[in-house]
Amino acid sequence: MRVVVADDSVLLREGVVRLLEEAGFDVVGQAGDGDELRELVDKQTPDVAIVDIRMPPTYTDEGLQAARQLRSCHPDLGVLVLSQYVRPSYALELLEGGSQGIGYLLKDRVSDVTELADSIRRIADGGSVLDPEVVAQLVERRRSGASPIDDLTEREREVLALVAEGRSNKAIGERLFITEHTVEKHVQNILAKLDIFESAEDHRRVLAVLAFLESD
Amino acid sequence: MVRGQPTGRAARSRRADRLWRPPMGPTHPEHRGVMFDAEGGVCGAVDRCSSRSSLSELVVVPEREQTVTRGRIVLALGAPAAGIAVLLVVAGEGKESTLQAILGVGIGWSFIASGLVAWTRRPENSIGRFMVLAGFVRLGAEFSTGSDDPVLFLIGHVLVVGFWIAIAYVLLVFPGGRLEGAPSRWILIGAGLLLPLRLGWLLLGGDETRNVLVTVTRSPHLARALERAEYGLVLFLGALVIAILMRRWQRASPRLRVALAPVFWAGVAGSILHVLWVADNNLGNPLGEIPMVLHDLVLAGISVGFLVGLLRARLARSAVAELVVELGEITAPGDLRDALARALRDPSLALAYWLPDDERYVDIDGRRLELPSESESRVVSIAERDGRQIAALVHDSALAEDPQLVESVCAAAALALENERLQAELRAQLQEVEASRRRIVEAGQEERRRIERDLHDGTQQRLVSVAMMLGLADTKLSSDPAAAGELVKDAKSNLSEALHELRDVSQGIHPGILTERGLPAALAELVQRVRMPIVLEMSVTERLPDRVEQAAYYFVSEALTNIVKYAHASKGHVQVERCNGVAKIRVSDDGKGGAEAVRGSGLRGLQDRVEALGGQLTIWSPRDRGTVVEAEIPCV
Repeated sequence: MRVVVADDSVLLREGVVRLLEEAGFDVVGQAGDGDELRELVDKQTPDVAIVDIRMPPTYTDEGLQAARQLRSCHPDLGVLVLSQYVRPSYALELLEGGSQGIGYLLKDRVSDVTELADSIRRIADGGSVLDPEVVAQLVERRRSGASPIDDLTEREREVLALVAEGRSNKAIGERLFITEHTVEKHVQNILAKLDIFESAEDHRRVLAVLAFLESD
Repeated sequence: MVRGQPTGRAARSRRADRLWRPPMGPTHPEHRGVMFDAEGGVCGAVDRCSSRSSLSELVVVPEREQTVTRGRIVLALGAPAAGIAVLLVVAGEGKESTLQAILGVGIGWSFIASGLVAWTRRPENSIGRFMVLAGFVRLGAEFSTGSDDPVLFLIGHVLVVGFWIAIAYVLLVFPGGRLEGAPSRWILIGAGLLLPLRLGWLLLGGDETRNVLVTVTRSPHLARALERAEYGLVLFLGALVIAILMRRWQRASPRLRVALAPVFWAGVAGSILHVLWVADNNLGNPLGEIPMVLHDLVLAGISVGFLVGLLRARLARSAVAELVVELGEITAPGDLRDALARALRDPSLALAYWLPDDERYVDIDGRRLELPSESESRVVSIAERDGRQIAALVHDSALAEDPQLVESVCAAAALALENERLQAELRAQLQEVEASRRRIVEAGQEERRRIERDLHDGTQQRLVSVAMMLGLADTKLSSDPAAAGELVKDAKSNLSEALHELRDVSQGIHPGILTERGLPAALAELVQRVRMPIVLEMSVTERLPDRVEQAAYYFVSEALTNIVKYAHASKGHVQVERCNGVAKIRVSDDGKGGAEAVRGSGLRGLQDRVEALGGQLTIWSPRDRGTVVEAEIPCV
C-alpha cells in the first residue's frame, strides 16, 4: 500500500516513516507543509496521506485545510490527520466532508504499530477512524444533562464508542470478546434507543452516531 | 491678573531676548508665534516672514505716550474751534445753504472724532491719525463750495483732493495700518496726480463763476479737458480700490471679515448714494437736497465704520471682560475652548495642552496632538503661567495682527487653562496606565503562546517519538532483539533530550532557583550563563517580596539579553541594593548605547512590569557611551 507522510517535525516524520516501512507500507514521499503535500499527492497518487494538523506557515490547522483540499481533488485518497491535541470539533469538521476514507488520531497512537497499521488499512478501504479519546469526549459531553445515552447499558455504551471510532461489527466483537452476532444485536438496541436509523455501511453508521453525539 | 502697565512693560523689555521657541527644539523651525505669560506681558514675538511683530512695536515708551496724549487733547479741542470758524466764514459769505455747510463740517468732525478714538484705542495703528488728518482736511475743503475768497477757494479745492487721497489711503491700509503691495502704492501715486489736474483746471479758469487767486489764462476748452481727465482718473482709481478691497475680502479669514464688514457696508451705501446723487443732478435735481444730505451723512458714517472695524479687529476689552465672567461658568470639557474662541472671535481656535514630563502636546481628552505646521492662515501662540508653558493656541493668522488681544485673553484664562491642562494630563496618564495594562496582558498571552509552542514543537514531539520507538521495539522484541535494543537506546536518549527541553521551558515559566534560593543565587546563575564578563554586586542578603524578586530577576535577565544581542559591549555590571524600602537594580554595559524603550521592545515590556509594581525604570543610553538601565521597585 502506497502512503505519504506530511509533518514539519523531521524527527517525528522520519520515525513515522520508519514505523510504517517496518509495518510493510510503501512510503512514496514525505512533505514538510501543506503545499509540499499537495504537490506530492498530485505526483504520486498514494492510497493514504498521513498529515500532521499543525504545519507551517501559520502553525494552526494547515493539515486540516490540506486534507479538505486533497479530498476534493482526489476523492479516492484516504487521509489520516494526526493531532497533538484532542479536538472533537476538528474531527467533526473533518468528517463533515464525507466520512469515507477519513481518520483523525492523536499523535500518541503511533506508538502502537499494529493499531496504527490497522487504522491506515481501514482508511484505505474507505472506512473512517476516530480517536477513542475524541469519541469519549463526545459521549461525555452528550451525557451531561438528561440524555438517551443514560438509557444504554454499560456494554451498549462500550459498543457505541467503538462504533463511533469507526470499527466494524467483526472488529468490535474481537475487541470485546463477543460474537459478531451479539455485537449486531447490541448495535440494533443502541440505534433503537437513540432513535438512529440503521445503515448497512459502517462509515454511514459512524456519521449517524456522530451526528447524534454532536446534536444537543 | 493683568498687572499695572509699567511693571508689565518692564517685564516685557527684560524678556526681550526670550524669543518664542518651539518646545520640540530646533527641529521645528516652521513654527512662529507669540509668547505670553500669565502676567500679561508679551515675552517676545517671532515672525518668520517679517519683523512686523517685533518687540519695539509692542513696547510703548510711557513719556512718548504722554506727549501723544497731550497732542490728542489739543486736537480734540481744536476740531470744534476750527469747524465753527469754517462755519462762520461760510455762513458769512452765504454761498451755500446752512444745511450743506453743517453737513460738510459734520463730516470733518466725524472723521476727527472717530480718528481720535481709534488713535487712543490703537495707538500703534496709523489709521486713527490719518482719519484725524482727513477730518481737518475736510473742514478746510468746505471753502471750495462755501467761499468766494480767492485764497480760501483755492485752498478749499486743494483740500478736497487731499481729503479723497486720505480716504483712499485709509481704505488701502485698513485694518492693518500699513500699505501693502505695489498696486496700493501705485494707486496712491496716481491719486497724487489729481492735485495738479485740479489746480490746472482752476488756474485755467475752469470755474467761471469764481475768482481764483491767479488765473493764468482763461481757456475753457483746456480746463474742461483737465476736468474730464480728473473724473476719468477718479473713476479708474476708484475701480482699482474697489477691486483691491474685493480681493482682500475674498482672501480674508472669517475673523478679518468681522473687521472689514463695517467699512464694506458703509462703502457700499456710500457708493449707491453717490450714484443717486449724480443721477439726481443730471436729471435736474428732482429730489432736491435729499441725495446730498444722505450722501454726506453716509460719508460721515464711513468714518464710524472705520472706527468700528478697527476696534473689532483689535481687542474688544469687553471681550476679555466677558471671558472672565464666562470662565466662572465653565463646567464641561470644551467650554473653555468655546469661551476663548468667542473672546478671540476665532471659531477655528484649537487648544493643545503641554505635558512637560512627556514633552508632548495633548488635547483635552489626553490624546496625543501634533501642532499643525504654521501656514498663511494658522499661527501658534504659547500660553504660559508663572514662566511655565501650559498650552498652545492654534488660531487664525489674523490674530497675529493683534498680539495684545491674544495676550490679554491668555492672561485672563491662564488659571482655567492650567486647570484644563491638569485634567488633560490626568486623562493622558490614565490612558497610559490603560495602555500599559493592556500591554501586560498581551505580553502574558504572548508568553503563554510561546510556552505552548515550545512544548508542542519540542517536548511533545520528542515524547511521541520515544513512544513510537518503544512501540517499534516492542514489535521486534522476539524477532530481532538486537534491533529492539538499538531502538530502546534511541528512545532513552530522546527521552533525556525531552527532559532537558522541558526544564528549559519550565525555567522560562518561573525560574525555580528563585523560589528555592532567592535573588542572589538566581542572579548569580543568570550571570554565569552570559558569555561575557559580568560583575554582580549584591548588597541585599535578605529575601525581598516574591513579586519584587521576580521582577528584578526578569529585569536583569532581559537587560543581559539586550546587552548580548544589541550592545556590542565587552563587559557588563549588575548591581542590586535596597535603600529606604526601595530595591534598586542597575544593569550597565560599555557598549554602543542608543537604547530606547520603544513600543514592542523588551525595554518597554520591562518598563510596564516595573511600573505595574509602582516602580520606575530609567534608561541612560547616550550614543557610544554605554547603557545604564535602572529599575527602582518599592518593597512593600
